[in-house]
Amino acid sequence: MNAAVNDVGIKARETENCLCFHCGQTIADQAVLENIHGKLQSFCCTGCSAATLWIDDAGLSDYYKLRTEQAPQADAAKVDLSAWDHPDTLTQHSRFRDGYDDIIISVQGMHCAACAWLIDRALSKQKGVSEVSVNAVTGRLHLRWQQSATPLSQLISCLQRLGYRAFLTQGSQLEKSRAQEKRTLLLRIGLAALVAMQTMMFAEALYLDTTNEMSVWTRDMFRWLCFVTATPVVFYSGMPFIRGMLRELKQKALGMDVLAASSILLAYFGSFYQTLVGGQHVWYDAAVMFVLFLLVARYLEYQTRQAAYEQSDALARAQPYLAQVIRADQQMAIPVAELKPGDTLCINPGETVSADGILLNDAASFDESLLTGEARPVTKSKGDFILAGSIGSLHSARLEVTQTGRDTQLSQLLYRVELAQLKKSGVLHYAERIARYFVVGILLTTILVYGFWSLMGSTHAFEIALAVLVVSCPCALALALPAAFASAQSALAKIGVLSFSNDNLVKLAKVDTFIFDKTGTLTQGKITRTDDHYFTEDKNHALAIACALEKNSLHPLASAFPEATNLQANNVRLIPGKGICGFVDQKEYRIGSADFAANAVDDGRLWLGDGERALASFSLNDNMRADAKTTVSALQDAGLQIHLLSGDAAVTVDAFANDVGISHSAARQNPDQKQAYLKALQSEGHSIAMIGDGINDALVLASADVSIAMGSGAAIAQRSADMIICGEKLDRLLAARAIAIKTQAIIRQNLGWALLYNLVGIPVTAMGFIHPGFAALGMVTSSLLVSVNALRLRKVSVSQ
Amino acid sequence: MNILLVLIPVSLVFLLIAIGIFIWALRNKQFENLESAALDILASETEAGDETKNDGNKNDAG
Repeated sequence: MNAAVNDVGIKARETENCLCFHCGQTIADQAVLENIHGKLQSFCCTGCSAATLWIDDAGLSDYYKLRTEQAPQADAAKVDLSAWDHPDTLTQHSRFRDGYDDIIISVQGMHCAACAWLIDRALSKQKGVSEVSVNAVTGRLHLRWQQSATPLSQLISCLQRLGYRAFLTQGSQLEKSRAQEKRTLLLRIGLAALVAMQTMMFAEALYLDTTNEMSVWTRDMFRWLCFVTATPVVFYSGMPFIRGMLRELKQKALGMDVLAASSILLAYFGSFYQTLVGGQHVWYDAAVMFVLFLLVARYLEYQTRQAAYEQSDALARAQPYLAQVIRADQQMAIPVAELKPGDTLCINPGETVSADGILLNDAASFDESLLTGEARPVTKSKGDFILAGSIGSLHSARLEVTQTGRDTQLSQLLYRVELAQLKKSGVLHYAERIARYFVVGILLTTILVYGFWSLMGSTHAFEIALAVLVVSCPCALALALPAAFASAQSALAKIGVLSFSNDNLVKLAKVDTFIFDKTGTLTQGKITRTDDHYFTEDKNHALAIACALEKNSLHPLASAFPEATNLQANNVRLIPGKGICGFVDQKEYRIGSADFAANAVDDGRLWLGDGERALASFSLNDNMRADAKTTVSALQDAGLQIHLLSGDAAVTVDAFANDVGISHSAARQNPDQKQAYLKALQSEGHSIAMIGDGINDALVLASADVSIAMGSGAAIAQRSADMIICGEKLDRLLAARAIAIKTQAIIRQNLGWALLYNLVGIPVTAMGFIHPGFAALGMVTSSLLVSVNALRLRKVSVSQ
Repeated sequence: MNILLVLIPVSLVFLLIAIGIFIWALRNKQFENLESAALDILASETEAGDETKNDGNKNDAG
C-alpha cells in the first residue's frame, strides 16, 4: 500500500494519526503538504491547505493562535455562486442605502470568537466593503458593501474558501425584530441594574437607622425616593413578568410568572401602603432586586436559546437558488418557485435537486445521503425517479420535473415531522408543574394567615401576611429553576451543545436508551478505501488503472480513489448496477461488482479486472468518527442501552455495529421504520435519546423523548431536534449528559432548600415572631444561596 | 441633614446620566458582539495602516 501510494500520488505521503493543521481532523490516508512559514504542515485536503495559504497571504495567520476551536473543513470544490449576484436575490434580501448594500447572512461553521475575527478581517480587506460585523454566537454576518466594486458572490466565495458556508436569512424583518427584542431586554436589565442600585442606596439609609433615631420626615422622604426609583424598575423592567402573570391568569394556569410577578407587585404595593400610612417597614429594595435577578437569569437563558434557534433556522438555510431549466431549447436560470411540472431541469455536480423528477440521461449518480442515510452516491438510470433534496454527483444530469414545492416527497416528510412535534409539545413543562403546586400553596397560606390574624382582631394582620409572603421566599423558589437552567444552558453552549428548551435537560438526565443513526452521525459520511487486495505483482499499476477508470467517471465511488495518475482511460462507460468499463493502454478493464469485473461471486467488495481475471479488490468504507467508539463505550459503561439504526445495507451496518461495539442494530430502515422501532422501545417503558443528522432521521428525531442533531446535518433534522451538537464532536454527548444530571441534582438541592426554608420560616412568621425586615434579609440570603449553587453547574468538566 | 437636599438630587442626576449613556451604547450596537472585540487586542499589528483605514470606513458607515 505504501509503495503504491508513493508512486501514484504526487504530493501525497503516508501519515498515521496526523491531524490537519487547519481543521484538526484526522488525516485518513495521505496528507497534502504545504510550506507554511518555512515549516512543512500537513492537511487533510487541498481545500484546507488552500484556506491556510489564503489566510497566511492575507496576513491573518494570528487566527491560528487566537482560535479555541478547530476550523471547519474547507472545501476545494468550486461552487457556482452567481445566484448571489442575481438581481432577485439582492432586491429580496439586501437593502440599498447611500450607495451601499446591506445584508444579513447566516454563516455555518463558526465555532469560536476567532472565527468571527477571521471573517471580519478577511472581508474588511475586500474593496468596497464598508462594514462587517460578525457574531459567532448567533452565526450572523452583517455586511455593508458596494456591489459595483465587489460583487457579493466574491465575498461569499471568500467565506467558502475559509471553510464557512453562507446562507440567506429568513428576511431582514425577522432579523430586525429579533435584534430589537434583544435590545429591549438589555435595556430592561440595564435600567434595573442602575436604578436598583440607587434604590438600595436609599433603602440602606433606612436599614442603618436601627435605633429609630431618624425623624419621621427624613424617613418618609427616603421612602418616597425609594418609591420613585422603584416604580420604573417594577413597571418597565418587570413588565415581562407582569404580562406573563396576566397571560397565565387568563389561561387559568398558574406558573412561574404568577409567582414572580405577584411577589414583585405585593412587595411594591405593600411598601407603597406602608409609605402612605407611615407603617413599620418598606420592601422596595426587595422588589427591585428580585426584578434584576430574574431578568438576568432570563437573559442568560434567552441568549443560549436564541443561539440555538438561529444556528438551526431551517428556513434560514436557504441558498439563493436558481434552477437551471431548458425552455424553448435555451438554458436559463429561473427562481425555484417558478418551476413547473414538465420543465427540463439541469443539475450540475454538487447542486441540490429542487423538485421531484424523472431522469432523462442514460445514467447519473446522486448523493441521497440526507434523504435515505445511504452514504454512497446512488447510480440512477433513465426513467428513474429522483427526489428533491438529493445532490447531483460527478456529472451533470437532466430531469423532467414531476412535482414541485409542497408536493415533493421532501415537503410531505416535513409536514409529518411538524405533526410529530405538535404532539410532543402537549406535555406539560416540568418547571411549570412544580411552580403550580408551590404558587397555590403559598398563596393559600398567605390568605389563611391574613384571615386568621384578622379574625383574631390583630392590627398587624397585613404586615404578618406580607411577611409570610416575603419570607416564603418566592425568590428562591422562582430562582431555583431558572438559575439552574440558565447556568446549565451556558455550560452546554460552552461545550458546543445548543438546547432549545429547559425540559430537554430534565429529560436527558432520565434517558436510559440511546439510538444512533449511522451515516453522518457515527461516521463522517465520506467514502474512503480500505483493505486493498492485489492479485498481481505490479500493485502500483493496478491501482493506477483503477484510479484512471474512476477519475472523471460517472461512477459514484470516485472519491475513494483520490490518487493522481498518469494513465489515461478512454471510452469509459457506466453500466448501471454493475460498474464501469473502459480502455487503458488499449486494453479493456472493468471495475465494479465481482461478477462484472472478474467473473467471480459478488461479495460486496469493489473489484478490478478485465472481465475474467481479477487484478485487485477494494473494500469501501464510510469512516467512523474518531470519537464514536469511546463515546459509545462510555455510554454503555454508564449502564445505557445503545441501538444503531441505519438506512444502509445490512452487511455494512452489521460490520459497523460490530466495530463500534453496539449489539442492537437495524439496517435498511426508512423514516417510518425508524419511528416504529423507537415507538416499540418507548412502549416497553424506555426513555429514549435519538442522535441523527439526516432528513431521514427527522421523523424519528421528532418522536424521541430527547433528540439531538449533528450540527453538520440537514436543516430539517435540526429543526426536529431538541438539541444540536456543533463542531462534529460526539463526545460532547457525554458532557451534555453529565451537565443534565448535575442540573437535576442542583434543582433538587435548590428546591429542597427552598422547601426546608419555607417549612421553618412560614410557621414562625405566621405566628408573628419575625419582623418583615428580617424576613426580607432571609429571603435575599436564600436567593443568593440558590443562585450561587446554580453557578456550580458551570464547572462541570468536559472531560467527563 | 440639609446636605441631603443637595446630594440626593445630584445622585439622581448622575443616575439619569448613567442611564442615558447606557441607552446610547445600546443604540450604537455596543452590546451586539461581545466576543470578537476582545481578540482584536491580541492580534499583532503588522498592517497598522491598513487597519486604521478600515476602522475609519467603519466609523463613516456607523
